Amino acid sequence: MATPADPLSRRRSLGLLLGGAPALLLGGCALNGVGEAVGTVTQPLNERIEALLQGKGKLPEFRPSQVDPAALLINSFNGTPEIDPGGYRLAVAGLVSRPQRLDLTALAALPQHQCVIRHVCVEGWSAVVAWSGPRLADVLALAGLSPLAGYVFIESADQYYESWDLASALHPQTLLATHMNGAPLPAANGAPVRLATPIKLGYKLSKWVTGLKLMATLGDRRGYWEDQGYEWFAGL
Amino acid sequence: MPASTKRPMAPIRYAPLWTRAFHSFNLLVILLMAASGLQIYNANPVFGGRGGATVPELFTLGGWLAGGRDWHFGVMGLYAANLGVWIGLLIRQRHQRLAAMGDLGTLRASSNTPKRRLAVHRLVYTLMLIVLGFSLITGLAMYKPAQFWWLVAPFSFAEAAGHDSWQVLRVCHLATIPAIALLLGAHVVLSWRVGGLRLWRSMAV
Repeated sequence: MATPADPLSRRRSLGLLLGGAPALLLGGCALNGVGEAVGTVTQPLNERIEALLQGKGKLPEFRPSQVDPAALLINSFNGTPEIDPGGYRLAVAGLVSRPQRLDLTALAALPQHQCVIRHVCVEGWSAVVAWSGPRLADVLALAGLSPLAGYVFIESADQYYESWDLASALHPQTLLATHMNGAPLPAANGAPVRLATPIKLGYKLSKWVTGLKLMATLGDRRGYWEDQGYEWFAGL
Repeated sequence: MPASTKRPMAPIRYAPLWTRAFHSFNLLVILLMAASGLQIYNANPVFGGRGGATVPELFTLGGWLAGGRDWHFGVMGLYAANLGVWIGLLIRQRHQRLAAMGDLGTLRASSNTPKRRLAVHRLVYTLMLIVLGFSLITGLAMYKPAQFWWLVAPFSFAEAAGHDSWQVLRVCHLATIPAIALLLGAHVVLSWRVGGLRLWRSMAV
């Protein structure tokens, strides 16, 4: 059959196949660094499509009977901060006409909404949760948004930080939740105030929120996890 | 094998370059999607959650969760486009044969072994397309569960039995990896039996 001159005899081909397999696996490890470049190239387009997909209207919700408290896992990059509810203030600053320092009474005086939605973690798990509290849009409206505002920078008591596009922040199901599953928010879940929405991955939903700052552009600090490589838009 | 060892071999008829390139590119894209998918799996194993067994690092791509997601969502566009072209080509080429009960009819009626083998092989890669299409649907449903809630809805069939639609989706999406691995194995074995090394070489780039 194949002569020795044949550069791809059956024997050689099999040898190449066997020899090539480990090289492929080693190559896989070397490719890990390339992933970041792949993300840099493709993420802007993905994020643009995600923003286009995201409507301004309400999304369907779950039935309260579908809530599964045990499914909701606790994630925090830096433990649980201690916050005195009496001394708590939510600062709204930046590109606003009336900067605010809201206490919990002021937040409770705003119209209260409940969302029964799926909380999806970037790790892959999810949990149906009933969140309630005022809409983030109502809180921002108190402060009077400047037309220049395009992004919201969110500060937390545990030094976690996030930034959102304004359209997602103004979504009717984006809440500053003070209650979870009908009871006051537990400390580990972000008491007294955390973000909740059906349209973002869990790492966008800051716990222990203490400050909202309206900005015209995204700064260098885009989010604790985003600055380490996670996608910024993170829409669902 | 049909090829005679006594006659001098005819020169290998290579498939057109674009076919070979497309074939290799498909393999590469599927490997990248599977390996990066297993990297994402390891962040929270579908079976066992945080305490569950993880996939060996050898089979993963990306190094950590964000790296795996970079690859998975970076390549998904190519994956979907490839799949579209592939399905389009097959529908165009096989429309008559499939519609006229070509391969299925052969399997039912013919006792000609090489002919049956060829028919089985064509059915195998038709099944591959169905599995890959299913992975795309389950993947999209988990990528945008809020916007594509209607895509998630069909997977809530097991909710009465206590299985959340999300877990069903995760299992379905993961199951496409062993399914495609089996079909890939069948594809390799069958192509060997249909055309031997000559067929392999005719498709190599």
